[in-house]
Amino acid sequence: MEMKSKQLLILYATQTGNALDVAERVAREADRRACRVLIRSIDEYDASSLPAVDTVIFVVSTTGQGDTPDSMKGFWRFLLQRNLGNHWLEGVHYAVFGLGDSGYQKYNFVAKKLDKRLSDLGATAVIERGLGDDQHPSGYEAALDPWMSSLWSGLNEIKPDFFPEGPDFLVPIEELIGQPKFQVTYHNIDNMDSQLSTTTDFKYLQMQIGRARSMSSGKVPHEKSKPDAFLKMVKNLPLTKASHEKDVRHFEFEFVSQVIQYEVGDILEVLPSQNSAAVDSFIQRCNLDPESFITVHPREMENHLLDNSLTALDVPIKLRTFVELTMDVASASPRRYFFEVMSFFATAEHEKERLQYFASPEGRDDLYQYNQKERRTVLEVLEDFPSVQMPFEWLVQLVPPLKNRAFSISSSPLAHPNQVHLTVDVVSWTTPFKRKRWGLCSTWLASLVPEERIYIPVWFHKGLLPPPPPSLPLVLIGPGTGCAPFRGFVEERAVQSQSSTVAPTLFFFGCRNKHNDFLYNDLWLSHSQNDGVLSEAKGGGFYTAFSRDQPQKVYVQHKMQEQSQRIWNLLGEGAAIYVAGSSTKMPSDVMVALEEIISKESGAPRESATRWLRSLEKAGKYHVEAWS
Amino acid sequence: MDLKSERSTVLVITDDASYAVTSLNIIWDSENEDSKRFDPLIIMQASSLARLPLDSSYVNLVIYIARSAEFPVDELYAEIFRVLVPGGMLVVYGSSKSGTNEVMSAIERRLLLAGFSDGNHFLLNSVAQCFGVKAKKPSWKIGSSFAIKKKTVKNPLKIEMDDDTDLIDEDSLLTEEDLKKPQLPLVGDCEVGTTRKACKNCTCGRAEQEEKVQKLELTMDQLNNPQSACGNCGLGDAFRCSTCPYKGLPPFKLGEKVSLSGNFLTADI
Repeated sequence: MEMKSKQLLILYATQTGNALDVAERVAREADRRACRVLIRSIDEYDASSLPAVDTVIFVVSTTGQGDTPDSMKGFWRFLLQRNLGNHWLEGVHYAVFGLGDSGYQKYNFVAKKLDKRLSDLGATAVIERGLGDDQHPSGYEAALDPWMSSLWSGLNEIKPDFFPEGPDFLVPIEELIGQPKFQVTYHNIDNMDSQLSTTTDFKYLQMQIGRARSMSSGKVPHEKSKPDAFLKMVKNLPLTKASHEKDVRHFEFEFVSQVIQYEVGDILEVLPSQNSAAVDSFIQRCNLDPESFITVHPREMENHLLDNSLTALDVPIKLRTFVELTMDVASASPRRYFFEVMSFFATAEHEKERLQYFASPEGRDDLYQYNQKERRTVLEVLEDFPSVQMPFEWLVQLVPPLKNRAFSISSSPLAHPNQVHLTVDVVSWTTPFKRKRWGLCSTWLASLVPEERIYIPVWFHKGLLPPPPPSLPLVLIGPGTGCAPFRGFVEERAVQSQSSTVAPTLFFFGCRNKHNDFLYNDLWLSHSQNDGVLSEAKGGGFYTAFSRDQPQKVYVQHKMQEQSQRIWNLLGEGAAIYVAGSSTKMPSDVMVALEEIISKESGAPRESATRWLRSLEKAGKYHVEAWS
Repeated sequence: MDLKSERSTVLVITDDASYAVTSLNIIWDSENEDSKRFDPLIIMQASSLARLPLDSSYVNLVIYIARSAEFPVDELYAEIFRVLVPGGMLVVYGSSKSGTNEVMSAIERRLLLAGFSDGNHFLLNSVAQCFGVKAKKPSWKIGSSFAIKKKTVKNPLKIEMDDDTDLIDEDSLLTEEDLKKPQLPLVGDCEVGTTRKACKNCTCGRAEQEEKVQKLELTMDQLNNPQSACGNCGLGDAFRCSTCPYKGLPPFKLGEKVSLSGNFLTADI
């Protein structure tokens, strides 16, 4: 009887799918070397089983604020237990690859901490940790290639059993394609959808979206597939002066389905609509029948646990609808693996060669230039390689999933019952090759006209800004669109102040020019006068930094320094600090300013101030919601 | 919560109505509970519900009976959580042919992630392959704990915080080196390789060359009657060299007019 060779365990903690992509690549490379692999999301793995494992590879992402991805929170908490001691993982071998962004202060903190903790628990590292960096010219792949190389040679040296065919066995990449992750079943149905196709039937729409999205490759295990509600737009107003520089809009929506009770500081996730012509173009290019009815299921493989909730879904959906709702064809860029698989299906020799080149370590940088930096869309890539005909199953797996976009809600339900407001920056930019790109969701929302009654599928969830009770003094820092959640805070406090006393609120806002992009200026001014919640008379304050209105740059942190005494006094009364905005630097600049303020006003040295702020964070009184 | 002494609100959720009735009797028998004491609300086909038609904090005990291998999805856990009173209990009953331990642990984990506490699992003695997973909705209200209970001393440098002594301080895992501001990666050397870009600190003049090329306006003639010495210009950006004047434009056929970018994201604003 053949002895089964050892199995390498790969655990990944992914937030946006990058760590999953890396983990799957490591698994494929292992496969090429005849090394058996078991790949699991870290939240599907019981940490208490770790001591029994021979060798484990961790692929972990660090979020912008230095935190673990949601899927890793339970596992990490388990590992941090003091009573595990330092022999708990003796005999276990491991390697860590981290994905992060060196533009952030807390660069790859999750991978660094994990690496150290595993070693402290008695485990042995096979190789040094690898750190993928988004800031690198070719992204995380640059660190991944050499790290994987070391991994195979390192592993071969200490655990040759993983490679039953010997250290030099390697299936050439051109021969290895394997099976797609999904299988698509076509159904023979006549007119299934037509009797229920009235668009005012929300239950139906909700089910349809739920079905499609739960079948999609982009489904994150804890995400809800069915939208919580549908909204219709009732107002679409520009907040910035017309220019090519910035276009920020104020949107007001009403519930058309059931009303969801939300709180200030909550997040609204929106499923954007794709351009109809683009969807048609894609379907035509890929020789698909838009009218056919399909169901999509994961192909059963040892390495992919069948998602239980999927087996209940036997209701077929129109292919065009599935593409429209789940496959991003004209906005997001595909990953490296897309190009690798394309090369198998290219019939023109020069296309095949080019695709193989792009997928290789030598071509990595050029791929980055052509694809990621240009924000090349799937449609554009398929247009550039016309001989490629990819089977639909592979497209389902590899076309980037259509993602919801998240926004901080800018209204208070107390002030605007049955409504939800958003403050949205309509993004556009020019690529290195001088092509104009627009943000999919922001552009779509900006194009909506209330009279059209388009229904918007949305989800509500908590963000990182818990709603403050009226008795909590606040220091709010929200430049640019960061002011959105604080509009809700202030409006809510204004309503609450009518029936009881509310604690003071300090708000620091910043933008480029007083006359161009001073968002909601009338609102803030009205609340900072006449004993409003932001008025100095009531212990509060409203301060603005206009960065480009004078020769030197003035930002929120400078305004905070000017008000250091006020801030210090409010902190003394137990104030909580909230920071929101869209910048990599702003939250850390604000933190530095706070350290300086605390140090200056209390007379304590900087180190004490830093420690004090950290304990404020731990006590749940320092909240940051930063988006890029 | 002493279920035997007082009437409590019980909710039973199932995905199979007929199965539920028989199971309930078996379960209550095995748990030595008098089924006459309870007058449960029963909800069937729960998997198709987005929300439970009940007020928040209304139900003391929720029993979910899973007929097949499908277990509650997370949105249903969130709903169950909402309708339970603080301190209330959820029990998930299910059956599985194999890997029961793994299945029970997986459910327990998802319950914990949904906010439940005190999860534990057990096997039913009376019914083969049948198990239960129990968990509680914590009895403290979530979200209110950040108003500090004690009045702060005037010197805010003394701050009360929860001391989690059974977990180590994760920041202690980082070295001095780790905490320093990270170095942005150095852009590659100036060697002209297969890559197209000049480095950020280019001293060899390549950057100037690239800039000159980018400023080259395509003439109308080039757009109407495109020619290509290398033969690659018409193939699209994937095949063009870094100095190609047609960079950024869609693919075209030699001699045929080049269509300017047909990007489907053109804003209709």
